[in-house]
Amino acid sequence: MSLVIDSIAKRFASYAALDGVSFHVPQGAFVALLGPSGSGKTTLLRILGGLEFPDSGTVRFADLNWLGVPARDRRAGFVFQHYALFRHMTVAQNIAFGLRVRRWHKRPPRAEINRRVEELLGLVQLDGLGMRYPSQISGGQQQRVALARALAIEPRMLLLDEPFGALDAKVRKELRGWLRSLHERLGITSIFVTHDQEEAFALADLVAVMNKGRIEQYGTPQDVIRAPRTPFVAEFLERAPGAAPLA
Amino acid sequence: MRKPTEDGPIVRGVCVALTIGFVVLFLVMPLLTVFSQALDKGVEAALDALTNPDSLSAIWLTLIVAAIAVPLNLLFGVSAAWAIAKHDFRGKSLLVSLVDLPFSVSPVIAGLIYVLIFGMQGWLGPWLREHDVQIIFALPGLVLATIFVTFPFVARELIPLMTDQGRDEEEAAISLGASGLQTFFRVTLPNIKWGLLYGVLLCNARAMGEFGAVSVVSGHIRGQTNTMPLHVEVLYNDYQFVGAFAVASLLALLAIVTLVLKSLLEWRFADEIAAAHRH
Amino acid sequence: MAAIPSTAFRWREPGVLPGFGLSLGFTVFYLSAIVLIPLAALLIRPWELGWVGFWEAVTAPRVLASLKLSFGGAAIAALVNAVFGLIVAWALVRYRFPFKRLVDALVDLPFALPTAVAGIALSTLYAPNGWLGAPLAAWGLKVAYTPLGVVVALVFIGLPFVVRTLQPVISELGAEAEEAAATLGASRAQTLIRVVFPALAPALLTGTALAFARAVGEYGSVIFIAGNLPMVSEIAPLLIVIKLEQFDYAGAAAIGVVMLAASFLIILALNLVQSLLATRR
Repeated sequence: MSLVIDSIAKRFASYAALDGVSFHVPQGAFVALLGPSGSGKTTLLRILGGLEFPDSGTVRFADLNWLGVPARDRRAGFVFQHYALFRHMTVAQNIAFGLRVRRWHKRPPRAEINRRVEELLGLVQLDGLGMRYPSQISGGQQQRVALARALAIEPRMLLLDEPFGALDAKVRKELRGWLRSLHERLGITSIFVTHDQEEAFALADLVAVMNKGRIEQYGTPQDVIRAPRTPFVAEFLERAPGAAPLA
Repeated sequence: MRKPTEDGPIVRGVCVALTIGFVVLFLVMPLLTVFSQALDKGVEAALDALTNPDSLSAIWLTLIVAAIAVPLNLLFGVSAAWAIAKHDFRGKSLLVSLVDLPFSVSPVIAGLIYVLIFGMQGWLGPWLREHDVQIIFALPGLVLATIFVTFPFVARELIPLMTDQGRDEEEAAISLGASGLQTFFRVTLPNIKWGLLYGVLLCNARAMGEFGAVSVVSGHIRGQTNTMPLHVEVLYNDYQFVGAFAVASLLALLAIVTLVLKSLLEWRFADEIAAAHRH
Repeated sequence: MAAIPSTAFRWREPGVLPGFGLSLGFTVFYLSAIVLIPLAALLIRPWELGWVGFWEAVTAPRVLASLKLSFGGAAIAALVNAVFGLIVAWALVRYRFPFKRLVDALVDLPFALPTAVAGIALSTLYAPNGWLGAPLAAWGLKVAYTPLGVVVALVFIGLPFVVRTLQPVISELGAEAEEAAATLGASRAQTLIRVVFPALAPALLTGTALAFARAVGEYGSVIFIAGNLPMVSEIAPLLIVIKLEQFDYAGAAAIGVVMLAASFLIILALNLVQSLLATRR
């Protein structure tokens, strides 16, 4: 059930967002797409989620032509940068949404849905907050609701767009450790987008450094830090504060 | 000492006095005139004027016209806003400005264009007469003219609102496995419902009160093609002032109810109404 | 090097949200059927008269007089609304006074009140024996059934356009610029004239233009108070109605085309002025 991305290219009106991107994600890996803004990392994530369509290239996932699967049938748990919680639904209704909209013969009974919601609320440590509305909880809590909502559909992969981007530094650190341990527990193939190298190196098994729609280097955090393969990667690692956190 | 950004008491007093004076003179007094003239010969006379068959048929016709025109424009508004706010395509800004076009056309011209097509000497006039289809001087003409003048109300409310709300929630719904219809009814519609109501409210007020456009296509056949505003004109020109103002006060009440509901929506659901941000 | 695939002209960015074809299709169909095709009929119709016939139709003295009244009256009313609309909007945003909420809500009355109702109310109010008409008549000022009556009706329907366009701009103005002016030694009057007014000018212009555009085509609120004397107090939209009643479709369409063209030119000119104002800052 590994994910094979091959020669993905995507042009927008004025520029090439992705310019022949290929890499391979082993099953259960936690991969970071790292790069400056405009490097194409979010576009790639949205293509994997079925929210954008590439001009060329293929994606195979567990022997499926992944690009041929409509977004609603992919079960790719997508966590949006600003969470995209349904503001008129409670936390519990948000989490239950993916189960309630299933075709009737696949839809679990109400009691089962409620049980799953409670279970997920426990998993993301939000017990007792099910009746709140998104506007009534903190940013870190909203982030975990978004994650629980994505997990509710038993996703085949998890796609996280700047998962900590909108949070302050302290909450960010806390959530980071929690997300890593959650990943170890669930073992779902996960890909997240970040522009923060410290975050990428602290969390991911594999890091893909992206620039201008291309992958500059793909490897374990240790490899990337020890042996930057291109001048861009070397420069990018130096530029940001907190470089080489694993040293 | 007053703050440097505050106006002096004289400026302040003059401005407030002018504001209240202007509003009383131009807005309050006409409104009071309507009700006072309607009740000039007593409540009974006013009620009699409202319940005679011609008035009743005018009220009924107004309701029918609005009941057809408003839902159609609602459907259009939602459809246009969905296409414009949730998708990217070329020519979008042209489409947006075309949607607003009917607001810059005189109501009389709005009626005129349909007469030019469907009227006795219109493009399709002879054909329609041969096949015994009546559009002008009949219900379809009234509906068409009303649709034209109320065309942009729902769309111009929804387009900015739905553009502001972005596509994240809809994309999230799809990625969670919702179908297009489920996404619309469970995610989009709840988010725009107050804005939608706001647009429908204004659309309906104009639909029921429109005069110029329907006047051109109506033919003024009493008891048949007179809507309430047209009936007001007929009665007024017949010197039946109590009757004219009685029907007019019914329309004025509709306007007041509309204003109250509108203020209520703007005050209570400011975040969910695009028009409120323009205030 | 992977080649960037060449993308041909693409008029739509593909997205995941469904219903694009259906919603855009219905939108364009409805817009064309209700608005665009009928308006095209208006533009085509007058030419059956030929150039000369068209010219004669729109330059007949009675037509010219009505166009002059419609555009002139609308211009005067728009100016009145610019002045009073500015005062009303300023007072509603900046001051506190009794019944403010009510006044604020009432400003929308001309949007909500059917024009025929406004028409008979204004006409009764300003008639020689009306509440306002009688005292004015005592001063020798006749309003109803004169061009002045036309202006009064047009002021009524135009007011909300100016106020509602200005209000958000005034409330977003913020105190900073005014405070800065004050610390630099400007008097309050200088601050208002040199700092506040220029900031409001584009919105004031827009609101005035909207009021003007609405007033040019206004019919219902005007015809009752105007008296409708040919050459004196007969507005252009009424003349269209009269021509239609005489089955002079081409003549009616000719006036309609001139009205449309003139209002679009004026709005275009105002937009140009406005973009000049905007780039200057």
